[in-house]
Amino acid sequence: MASAASLDVGRLVQEAEALASAVRGALGPRGGQMLLTRPTGETLLTRDGRRVLEALNLGPPTARMMVACVSRHHSMTGDGAKTFIILLSKLLRGLQAILDKREGSPFCEDIQRRESYQKHCHSLKQISQSLMTFQTHILDHIMAQDLRKHFLSAFSSWEGEISRDTMESILEAYFCGRIGNSHQKLLSQLSCDFYYKCISFKNGRNEMLNLVNEYFVELHSAVTGLPVSNSRILEGFVLHRDFAVYCPADGDIRMLIVTESIDSALSASGLEFVVNAEVQYQASQVWITKRTEAIMKHLQNNNIKVLLSSVKQQEIVIYYAKISGISIVECLSSEEISLLCKTTGISPFIPTRDNICSEITETMIAKFCQPLVLGSKRYVHLGLTKTCAFQPHCVIFCGPVHGVTEQHASAFHGAFKMLQQLFKAVDLSDGCEAQPETPVNASKAVHCNWQHSATQQKLIMENISCNREKVNGQQLKTSMAETEKQFIDFSSLVGENPSCNQTDLQKSADLAMPIVELESDFMFSALIDRGSSVRELQKPPVKCQHPSETWIKNKSEPVVTNHRICNDAMTAIENTSTSVVSKQLNAAKEYWKPGNHIVPFMYEKSYKHTVQSYTNVVIQAGSVLPVGGNFEILLHYYLHSYAKQCQQPKITLISTVIADALLSIPKILYSTTKENSFTQVFFKATSALQTNQQLPMHQEGLESVYCKYQLVASVLHCVAKLLTIDLIIGIRRLPQKTEVNDSEEDL
Amino acid sequence: MSRIEAKKPSLCTNEPLTKERVSFSLSVLSGIVKSCYGPTGRLKQLHNGMGGYVRTTSQSSALLGGLSITHPVLKVLTASVQNHISRFSDCGLFTAILCCSLVENFQRINFAACTVTKISRHLLSLCTDYLKSEACGCRISVDFDSIKTLLSLVHSVLASKPACMLNKTEANHLSTLVLKAFLLTIPHTVETNVVLGKCVIVPVKDKRVMDSTVFPGLLIEIPESQLARTFPVIRVSSSTIKMALFCISLSGDLSNIGEGTVIVHHGISLEVAVLDQLLNLGKQLINDQVDLVVCQKVIHPSLKQYLEEHRVITIDRVGVSMMEPLSQMTGSQPIAALHSVSPTCYGSLKDLRTESFVSKNFLHLIPNDTLVCSLILCNRNEMAWDELKLACQTAEHVLQLTIKQPLALLGGGCTETHLASYIRHKSFTLPASVLKAIDCSRTQYQLVADAFSRSLECVACCLEHDDGEILTDMVYGHFWSVQSGFPSDCNWSDLVLKCGCGICSNQQNLNWTVLQSQCIPFTPQSCSNEPSVNSTDHLVLDCFTAKCSGLQVAVETTNLILDLSYIVEDQN
Repeated sequence: MASAASLDVGRLVQEAEALASAVRGALGPRGGQMLLTRPTGETLLTRDGRRVLEALNLGPPTARMMVACVSRHHSMTGDGAKTFIILLSKLLRGLQAILDKREGSPFCEDIQRRESYQKHCHSLKQISQSLMTFQTHILDHIMAQDLRKHFLSAFSSWEGEISRDTMESILEAYFCGRIGNSHQKLLSQLSCDFYYKCISFKNGRNEMLNLVNEYFVELHSAVTGLPVSNSRILEGFVLHRDFAVYCPADGDIRMLIVTESIDSALSASGLEFVVNAEVQYQASQVWITKRTEAIMKHLQNNNIKVLLSSVKQQEIVIYYAKISGISIVECLSSEEISLLCKTTGISPFIPTRDNICSEITETMIAKFCQPLVLGSKRYVHLGLTKTCAFQPHCVIFCGPVHGVTEQHASAFHGAFKMLQQLFKAVDLSDGCEAQPETPVNASKAVHCNWQHSATQQKLIMENISCNREKVNGQQLKTSMAETEKQFIDFSSLVGENPSCNQTDLQKSADLAMPIVELESDFMFSALIDRGSSVRELQKPPVKCQHPSETWIKNKSEPVVTNHRICNDAMTAIENTSTSVVSKQLNAAKEYWKPGNHIVPFMYEKSYKHTVQSYTNVVIQAGSVLPVGGNFEILLHYYLHSYAKQCQQPKITLISTVIADALLSIPKILYSTTKENSFTQVFFKATSALQTNQQLPMHQEGLESVYCKYQLVASVLHCVAKLLTIDLIIGIRRLPQKTEVNDSEEDL
Repeated sequence: MSRIEAKKPSLCTNEPLTKERVSFSLSVLSGIVKSCYGPTGRLKQLHNGMGGYVRTTSQSSALLGGLSITHPVLKVLTASVQNHISRFSDCGLFTAILCCSLVENFQRINFAACTVTKISRHLLSLCTDYLKSEACGCRISVDFDSIKTLLSLVHSVLASKPACMLNKTEANHLSTLVLKAFLLTIPHTVETNVVLGKCVIVPVKDKRVMDSTVFPGLLIEIPESQLARTFPVIRVSSSTIKMALFCISLSGDLSNIGEGTVIVHHGISLEVAVLDQLLNLGKQLINDQVDLVVCQKVIHPSLKQYLEEHRVITIDRVGVSMMEPLSQMTGSQPIAALHSVSPTCYGSLKDLRTESFVSKNFLHLIPNDTLVCSLILCNRNEMAWDELKLACQTAEHVLQLTIKQPLALLGGGCTETHLASYIRHKSFTLPASVLKAIDCSRTQYQLVADAFSRSLECVACCLEHDDGEILTDMVYGHFWSVQSGFPSDCNWSDLVLKCGCGICSNQQNLNWTVLQSQCIPFTPQSCSNEPSVNSTDHLVLDCFTAKCSGLQVAVETTNLILDLSYIVEDQN
């Protein structure tokens, strides 16, 4: 162990603010461009917050964690990286103010504990918990009750048609924040055209968006050295290879996909070829040549004009192809092959002894297949006739430098990710909905959603396996099998007396595996804290699982019940241990109680929302709001009014902090304009809300509510996660991840 | 594992354009490119300081490729110029100078970046629309019936590269050769998809420039010893020579064994087996009456000897780059099989000769349909030869671009000054609705337009390196230069002879003023009806496609640079 430092909120704030200041200049429609240089010397233009933050190469582990959170969020929604970090910094600043106040703060009371350090940790932990409570319940509630009435629908009718104007305003608003201001119009037009050209029928929208997002690399090409205005959409595919043989053909062109060499070799792996005589060797050579010739003749007889190959073909194949008038494109990437297979629904052709004489059916028909010169490179341009929900089109990005074409390509890709999000219908109580039939999967999905950096993910994987060893396998199985019943139990439990008996609690506790992890964590630390040595504590080095991460995975659970549940579950699992242990455990349980002020509230809330989530879909697919900080102002307004009537001091405080942090976004957006200062805009909006009018609009353009909602939720998660760290320990063991966030629960 | 170092944090710069470092490096770069521009441009010597190869040049491609630029803003600038050169070969310096002066001039007026960007984009669209319109006064259409305009285009390219060290007759001679070579690559029969042939440049570095020449067909260098053995050629008929072209190795190596094992019994030699096959192939070639065998790779000496005994000429190791012109020119298909060669793969040649230059011997393959030609490029000086080769390639590329879009722009600074006066004039007559759409005031628009025109004029001014005076006329808006040392009391009309491009001569009172002095905006006239358009003198012309694109790239790059608000430099 090299160094250990406790978590300092002040430093967190500084780090977050430093990060925010790096991207602030690029926020909003008037933001400027950033220039990044890579170690290789190439330059990249960007307004993408994620790229900038990642390029900073930050040292502090907490700052890296923030960047990892941003990246995770961005890769999911394609948007909002800059807003994320600005919101994060403001939120941390607000929370720091609460901590500094100390006296009278609901997060600092009733601790008779010894050191101020532990006191500090305790209040951090409390804040973190309240944030999670807020995210899972109150945010959803407010979205459902208040904000929902302001949402507009992107669809012109509820059948799911989206008008071109709406599409344009959504895309234009998106590109305003992503690329240099001289080409926003051009690219939003281009992406709008691309959307409508690619979609073949309206029900295929999601399939088309999925394909475009998955295969975007194959669907675009970049040309440097030409003006940006030369960017265009081409019909069909551009395969990023040149013809090995090109034989021009007209009319319907039959094509075939092959994934292995047509020419056979003398021997294959695992086989031996024995040469007995020179004549035999010559004969086999001749046979191979004849076979290749026969296959090519067979293809020619089947009227195959083009052969698309994923591997390099032998020269002999190319020679016979040329004679037979067959064009060959070789060395296609596996992605290109799978894209072609997906859009046409055919599978690759494998020449065998049997099908060498039969008719070839797995073919696709192309309108044209011709060489295409883009810049200095020669590609193959392919127009298919029969396709799936996706009408093949591809984009050519032109620009004076590579940095520009890359920026445009990534913004274009981001726009399609954003559209994918736009068409998602959302159950707001995302976490609460833990589907009864697959509880473990659900918890894993949540885990995936909220897990941020790869290193942490790995840690958790290790942790899970570690816990598996500990927990009796059988028990785990039964708990999984029983989950459905348990879930019902759990909901019934909510209404019951809080002092439930042990078995009930255990049943509902094992909703998902992570709880098992959690429980051992908590228990071990509790035991250490008490100085107990009843049980042999072989604490493995990977057991530095952060409790907050476990919280995140368990966010479907009412926060406080977990504490109780885990204690009991632990008792049950370790029922082989001595009575001394259970005594200790009980003591630990007692210790938990004083902190659990919000228990009744929690129960009530969670129950209510579980019910709601089944009856209500709160963000409908295609919900949009006008741009220009409208979402933030609305949420601010409703959070404030919620805070006023809320009985819970902690929640009130947290809501106020979040509400104030949200305002930082419109503040930056309106800081540069002359006509609309922030105060004017804010005043107009609030007075409109008070009189129940629609919000005044300042800019044209729409943005997806789902993305915004995800953003706020992600930020809250990130803060909650950061605040539950208490020790940062530098270790030397793993140089590729020199610093690992380490923590111990010492409550 | 200890070798893995922690990454250094990146260096961030806020508002980079206001920093001293940028403006200093920018002025150094713009000084370099400006001084290279034009026929009288100054040469630059590039060396690595350690006894390496020294390059003397004034061409943008060599210059920018050689400079090691560290500042990220300049990297963007040079990268976009280099990308432009890789697409169009020509107008690299024009793009670089225009971009540098646009950045400098726009910074001077000090508006918000987005205002400047919007207005300059509008100005650019004015320019491109004008250049593409029929009314454009600074372009002429290229007439393919006479070679005059094409020759002027080539001549302008060669003349603008002073490092080639060509005198007037040499420049004329080479221009003719380059144009001749280009015309040879155009196919006789024109189908829908025209594929141009290829011009191969053969270096001969110890002869005079005037000894350069063009041959239809290909020249393949062969050792002298082989020359004696192969000639004379026996041919089937008087008109054709049958040729086989192989793209696989005929060296007798074992091919395509596969991933498994091959077990060979004692006493069996696979090499003998393969050689046997090769000799069988040789037999077939002789039976098919092939006169010439060309192989991309190596031919086995036994096969070679066998073929030569039967009076078949063999050429091996021609390399992959020669394969395409060879098959294009002779109509032969590269053969990849050792057995049963199809007779349809053979190609034909019209004639086969030998040529020798100084100490080099060449086999000259003369095709029936010339699609491929060889340009023997001579220059005594190694450095000047490199520069000359680059210039010839540029000229060839310019001709290819011109055939796609048969237009040419007036060179010698006339297009720039003409466009500048057009923009000035337009900025005064712009309708208010356009201003509203751009969201700026008329004064703002005029200031940006003035900076834009100034930058264009600045490019034209860079053509003059000897303290001469630069004038423009108030009718056509052309470029006129006056040598330094003129008496102060004389009329401009007594001093000027011809405008930059050579179209206008000092005929009528054109009302000259000093360039970049304040003058009343006027609509520049078109001068394509001037009698001198049809005179015999060389005009100075520029490639239309390359210059239009250069203009757009320069403005777009400037907008990119002005829009930068933050730089993150990776220090690793």
